[in-house]
Amino acid sequence: MGFLSVSLLQAQEQADAPKPVPVIIGGSGFITTFDGGEPHLGPLIAPVVLVPLGNRWLIESRTTLESDMTQRPGSSAFHGKVLKNVDYLQLDFIANPYMTVTAGRFLTPFGIFNERLYPIWIRNLQTDPLILPIAIGPSGASTGAMVRGGFQATSGFNVNYAAYFSALSTIKSGSATPLDSDRSAGGRLGIFIPNARLELGGSFQHLLQNERSNSFGFHGGWQPSSSPLELRGEYERSARGSGYWIEPAYRLSQVPFWQYAMRRTQLVARLQQYWVGELSSDSLPSVNTRQFEFGMNYYFRDGLRGVSSYGRQFSEMGNKNVWTIGVTYRFAFPLGHGDVN
Amino acid sequence: MCAAAQEQRKAAATNVSTAGTDSVAGSTPGSALAVHGGASSRYEGEKRFRANCGRCHMAPHKFPPRMMATIVRHMRVRATITDEDMQLILRYMTE
Repeated sequence: MGFLSVSLLQAQEQADAPKPVPVIIGGSGFITTFDGGEPHLGPLIAPVVLVPLGNRWLIESRTTLESDMTQRPGSSAFHGKVLKNVDYLQLDFIANPYMTVTAGRFLTPFGIFNERLYPIWIRNLQTDPLILPIAIGPSGASTGAMVRGGFQATSGFNVNYAAYFSALSTIKSGSATPLDSDRSAGGRLGIFIPNARLELGGSFQHLLQNERSNSFGFHGGWQPSSSPLELRGEYERSARGSGYWIEPAYRLSQVPFWQYAMRRTQLVARLQQYWVGELSSDSLPSVNTRQFEFGMNYYFRDGLRGVSSYGRQFSEMGNKNVWTIGVTYRFAFPLGHGDVN
Repeated sequence: MCAAAQEQRKAAATNVSTAGTDSVAGSTPGSALAVHGGASSRYEGEKRFRANCGRCHMAPHKFPPRMMATIVRHMRVRATITDEDMQLILRYMTE
């Protein structure tokens, strides 16, 4: 009788629950960068298409259209090609509460920046960390299969994990960026302590081609509930280079004056360092590099943000300033004309 | 929106569970809601929303329920959110 009641309750809940609809979400922006005094204009749009299938399946894909427009010598006009890139196109199957199986082209789960902090509307500073390409390469993606999930280990903390295998891919498709990936296997394991809002974890990757080297990474994040502070960082080590970045961000909502403006203002800093490895890499700096950045973001309204930053880079190739200023926007709308309520 | 439709939407939001998102074999739909019923559930949902979503980005405004069901499923995969957290966040975001 009890079992029947539970089944009926579940059936009722399923009937009443909102049925997911196909959705497009994503970010867009226009960032102007002065890199060593050279101006770059960077328009970007990155729509993410989400198509749910039944109760367990999800197709998701992100395509990025962007340009890096610069001035040609003797001309004040800006020129640049539009780069098109399918960042990921994956099929997710939610096998049970503890595991999701993913197949296709997916963002490589190494560290936290590539998978979670990369989108233009999320990142606090618009420049990439120097160590970002370590283990993930220039594309940031793998082609193959992955299992991942999260579960509550005790009442005090959650465990999350991802493990994957990637095949070698050298696919080129017209004018789009090549859909390249390395043959590799790896994973990430982390814990999250909700009450302390603290997460810690580590990543590992073994390259199954070329020098067959290993890469390691450690990441952490902390958002204390008593303060509008965010603190994140990563350390990564590989045969092609190693380094770290640490990024505190503080929302000025506790400042007692000009509260309307202050609670929309965020101050950010990032300190990072990179050391070259035994092997060279086209996507990593060729010399040891240090960089400090300071930024200020202003949240006009939900999803719309003004961003700005100043950074100073120190390396054997010469020191330089990097300025950025721009606007980012996060959008979300249903795909089609169906009822969304 | 007419009063009947509003009532229907309110009822749907109140009863929302795992079904539209990730009611999967081996899970226990409604278990989290049974443990955290009513106002307690809303408080838990908001708390977990801020703890989980705040790990990466500022809290967004709420979207319509059926869009939210898709976005939460996406975030479950992307951010490896637990099944229970996902249920409570979805319920909070569609209330």
